[in-house]
Amino acid sequence: MKELSLNILDIAENSVKAGATLTEICIEETPDLLTLTIRDNGCGMTEEVLRGVTDPFYTTRTTRKVGMGLPLLKLEAEQTGGSLTVTSRHEKEYPTDHGTTVCSVFHKNHIDFTPLGNVVPSITTLIQGHPDTDFLFTHIFPNYTVSLDTRELRTVLEDVPLGSYEVLKWIEEYLDEQYESGGKTV
Amino acid sequence: MTVRELVEKAPFKAAVLPDPDREITGVYIGDLLSWVMGRASGGDAWITIMSNVNIVAVASLADTACVIEAEGVTPDEEILATASAKGVNILLAEGGAYETAIALSKLL
Repeated sequence: MKELSLNILDIAENSVKAGATLTEICIEETPDLLTLTIRDNGCGMTEEVLRGVTDPFYTTRTTRKVGMGLPLLKLEAEQTGGSLTVTSRHEKEYPTDHGTTVCSVFHKNHIDFTPLGNVVPSITTLIQGHPDTDFLFTHIFPNYTVSLDTRELRTVLEDVPLGSYEVLKWIEEYLDEQYESGGKTV
Repeated sequence: MTVRELVEKAPFKAAVLPDPDREITGVYIGDLLSWVMGRASGGDAWITIMSNVNIVAVASLADTACVIEAEGVTPDEEILATASAKGVNILLAEGGAYETAIALSKLL
């Protein structure tokens, strides 16, 4: 993919498909590293599925719901000298505490680093597509943090659906503002 | 022209040819796998410098006639084994993507 923000959309969609009620998307940046973690409380994967999840054939041929998302993200991380790890707790073994965590580390200064791009449209697209599940987004920079928690929005909005145009527009502006004012303090 | 005929006529070496009678109907050049996945057409000879096992999956999904590794790139054993198992032809070319495409253009 041309931008990591598109990968985020792809991986988070898997979380929603796995039945997650909360998907946490965390980007942490230092001058050299970008760590992208996507953690959900969905059904999780069995050890067998987990072993094959970064094998493009296992994923494209037998479990179509996973797709090429993880193999591509792994390639993008590794081509910067970084890594991708996936851990998962399947609902059968962990009935109350299940889910999947995808953690990828990128060396930002490597020439083959895929630029992050603008994350805001990815976040609003996710919320628009899945207004009934929750997302916690945090983007941590050395001196400021951008964040959005749809659980908090829901308590304020009460009956207004998160997927409505006005709310999505507000979310977009809210995130853009945080990026702008954070950027000024650098 | 089939992939086998291409190997006979062009300065390309066959790394694995599990499907030698596959007809080549076009050419695609690209290294960004997610891009290639959506753009390469069935029957294309796909020229790339990427050599990760994902190229076999992309070739298989896009149903390309063969992968041509340009610039002397040589895929490792794991890739070749997967390619043979999945019926993906892989050829090796010494020249860059441009020279490789010219050679194809003269033959196709």
